[in-house]
Amino acid sequence: MKRIVFFLTFTFLFFSVNAQKFMTRNGYIGFYSHTAMEDIKGDNNQVASVLDISTGEIVFQVLIKSFHFEKALMEEHFNENYMESEKFPKSTFKGKITNLSAVDFSKNGKYDVVVEGDLNIHDVTNKVTAKGSLEVITGGINANSKFNIVPEDYKITIPGVVRDNIAKNLEVTVAMKYTPVENK
Amino acid sequence: MKPYLKIAIIAIVLIGLAGAGTGFYFFNKKHKDLLKTRPDFIVSSIDLQKEFETDESAANTKYGNKIIEVTGIIGSVKRGEEEILSVSLNTGSDFSSVICTFPSKADPSIFTKGSQVTIRGECSGFLMDVLLNNCVIVK
Repeated sequence: MKRIVFFLTFTFLFFSVNAQKFMTRNGYIGFYSHTAMEDIKGDNNQVASVLDISTGEIVFQVLIKSFHFEKALMEEHFNENYMESEKFPKSTFKGKITNLSAVDFSKNGKYDVVVEGDLNIHDVTNKVTAKGSLEVITGGINANSKFNIVPEDYKITIPGVVRDNIAKNLEVTVAMKYTPVENK
Repeated sequence: MKPYLKIAIIAIVLIGLAGAGTGFYFFNKKHKDLLKTRPDFIVSSIDLQKEFETDESAANTKYGNKIIEVTGIIGSVKRGEEEILSVSLNTGSDFSSVICTFPSKADPSIFTKGSQVTIRGECSGFLMDVLLNNCVIVK
């Protein structure tokens, strides 16, 4: 049910006739784990996101299988053992810019923002607040943010054997280049 | 040292080396080189997108994690983080395409908007577009 509601919201946000919507289909979300044992980096360059500048609503959709790791075995473990991507293929974030009035979308420049919303990973939803920046440029908006997540908060179990290979806190980096949604 | 003991020690060392070698191989295994792998499906970008649009669940079961060789007209080429390349192939839909992501250091000059191209990639699934990863250009 939640998924249907989310999908409808996402589609509605996308298709509503409103010149205030911005989107990307090639957004970047990566995560980085640093331990004494090894460094792990996963990159996803196929993030779909819609930003509504009139309401501050922001929605992300991420396909777990689109995360790329340098080592093939790591990518397999990530999908099969940790994220169970066959069962839970997508991760989503649905939130809002809490200080929307601090951004002047008519003036090029960089603005600090705070985003708050629901992050769903591995079928577990948690409320997340993250600091970021919106950069208004000619013809688009760039959004950047860095925040941390704890895998256990999303019921991602990491076996004891490799627990020391993966950091307790994962650093997540978000980099989006939004362009206006054309009304066809 | 008794001869059978010597043989036993040599055998154990060899097995140990083989085990370590195998472990090392798997740990450092790189992603499949799709130029050397036969594709599971050969399809046009128009047909591929249509299947996902019609029944995403069935298309995911059919194409998920499989190697797809897709032919289509290039709609756009975008550069992403870490110099990866995203090539978008046109479909029957204005809103939805087939996005092929190439690993970093891919050369963008070989892709020109409007020209036809054949690309091989692993199908990750569908968000607003059909998403292929680990792509290589076939022709």
